[in-house]
Amino acid sequence: MLSDYSIYTKTVMKKLFRISSGKIIFSLFFIFLFSCRKDLQSINQPENYIDGNFSQVFDAFWNGMNNNYIFWDIDTTNWDNMYTRYKPVFEKLNLNDSNDVRKSVNYFRQMTQGLVDSHFNLSFGYNAIQDSTVDPAYERKQRSSAFHPWNFYAPLDAARYLDKGYISGYDSTTNAGDLRFALAGTISQKILFFTFNEFELKSSYASSKANGLQPVLKYFFNYVQDPPANIKGIILDLRGNGGGAVEDLNFLMGRMIDKPLHIGYTRYKSGNGRLDYTPWADAVITPQSGAAALTIPIIVLADNYSVSLAELTTMAVHSLPTGRFVGETTWGATGPLAPNEFFNGGQFTAANFLFAYTSSSMFKYIDGNIYEGKGFPPDVSVPYNAAALRAGVDLQLEKAISLIP
Amino acid sequence: MFKNKGSLRFDRMVFFNLLFIAATNTTSAQLSIGLETGYNKNYLYTNTSNRDFTAYKPAGGFNLGIPLSYTVSSWFAVQADPSLIKKNYRTERSDFFEGVYQVNTNTYLQLPVMGHFTFGGQYLKGFLNLGVYGGYWTLGKVKGTLPNILNAVDTVGNINTVYDYQKSYNYNEKYLFDSRKDNRIEFGWLAGVGLSYDLNNVYQVFGEARYYQSLTDQQKKYMINQVPRYNQTYIVTVGVLINLKNLTQGNAF
Repeated sequence: MLSDYSIYTKTVMKKLFRISSGKIIFSLFFIFLFSCRKDLQSINQPENYIDGNFSQVFDAFWNGMNNNYIFWDIDTTNWDNMYTRYKPVFEKLNLNDSNDVRKSVNYFRQMTQGLVDSHFNLSFGYNAIQDSTVDPAYERKQRSSAFHPWNFYAPLDAARYLDKGYISGYDSTTNAGDLRFALAGTISQKILFFTFNEFELKSSYASSKANGLQPVLKYFFNYVQDPPANIKGIILDLRGNGGGAVEDLNFLMGRMIDKPLHIGYTRYKSGNGRLDYTPWADAVITPQSGAAALTIPIIVLADNYSVSLAELTTMAVHSLPTGRFVGETTWGATGPLAPNEFFNGGQFTAANFLFAYTSSSMFKYIDGNIYEGKGFPPDVSVPYNAAALRAGVDLQLEKAISLIP
Repeated sequence: MFKNKGSLRFDRMVFFNLLFIAATNTTSAQLSIGLETGYNKNYLYTNTSNRDFTAYKPAGGFNLGIPLSYTVSSWFAVQADPSLIKKNYRTERSDFFEGVYQVNTNTYLQLPVMGHFTFGGQYLKGFLNLGVYGGYWTLGKVKGTLPNILNAVDTVGNINTVYDYQKSYNYNEKYLFDSRKDNRIEFGWLAGVGLSYDLNNVYQVFGEARYYQSLTDQQKKYMINQVPRYNQTYIVTVGVLINLKNLTQGNAF
């Protein structure tokens, strides 16, 4: 028979056991639940990695692309495969060995060769490779059977096709080291012709330093503002134009419309994930003050070297009721750029070793297609013809002229 | 094949009969059903430390549920709360990017199952809920404002915010799920404390503060070095429970 004391002890022990076991069960329950959740790893800006060794340089670049590249949704490059394949390769390289530094350029080239972003290029800060660049879109074009050299059409067109009295000029003062060119005139007294080499028109026009572009622009804008009765059409020549400042879209095209022109959509990164996107935002060209809608035909000439804003302007003309596009398929770099912090995506520096130039936004044309990496196709295709050019004939311009009655 | 209305009515009758039997065939075990609603604040637990002037902030929402409680003893019940719950959050940028934001409004259908531990007096009681839940992300909506790179401001004066460069674009639209990325199934645990008051043998009103912690990432694992996102939801809810046994026996007092 148990004594009162032992019964009491047992009862207390039972209670304690019940309490303890309950606590243990609850504790285990929560430990189990918390252990299911993954920890949040640190995530760093690519420029903040230290370029102490190639492993860090690789991580900076790979993660920079992982978090900032805008085209993962449509890009066919398997970026995870690039990690598993090239991480061990970079780990074996020595950052203090100039041969290894040179080798690394080729590995970066291999990793990025399939990227759809046709703005994309890598430039390097290290002495041994300062002259190296990685430019996947250009390298793809060089391998293409349709590849041809960049051509400057203005001298030929001015001499052969433009009426006397045309006007041309340069601006090298608004932005030192940047040579801007423009040419405007008439063809057969019935067509207004305008060409320029880059979209920096607004800054040259507004520059306090007098420059050669200002009279050309005034000439062209005077005609566009109030076209004389003899002017039956406009030819805008964007061949070889490398693009430039987005503001020029309004500055130039906004003079040809009297109400906002919806040309497509842009979207941006909304998070660090490859597939994190904002909704599509309307891409709109705003009419400039006093502008009237042009009712005469507008023909845009563009070629394989019409890049970026030159392509968007080509598309803008194409979307006008009287607009047509003659020439070759454009370069295929349609995503606008801004500093990374503007849209939490796009261009970045990786570990002080390289600079990745890449779009901040994805552009979709009003027809619903994304022409990144493909280029915008012409309404009337006229391929580059080296023999004709050697003979002093610009077949693409002649085709454009023929389309204006 | 669709069932006709007759067979649907039959199924409903069988269901309610089973419910009735479950509620009345033991003396201590009792089934209660009710209605609850409340306000919640959801936090997205993730990492944006690499993004300048960018933060995830909590956002408010509501929840609506039908609590089902099966009383096993005077101090313990098993409870399920099939409910509709909003798990919203806000992404917000600051300083130069002031005014750039997005509110994600996400609707989940959720089934929490929990142990309901009661303590206290005869009418006014305290309770503790501990359990797990599963949910399905049924709908999403995004509302926000962003700078539009292809809608530039023509006359740039003083630059105070990004909208002095680029016009704002406002949107308010349905979120389009991406099957490559979005994980629409959510599991997690919950804990809640509250007070209940028995109005009589049939009706009980209650108020509860509850916390839901998701254990599943809102995204499928689709990339290396993916930063997970977990919902953390704080809710305050009020409701009423009806004791089916006492209701059917008419012994409310």
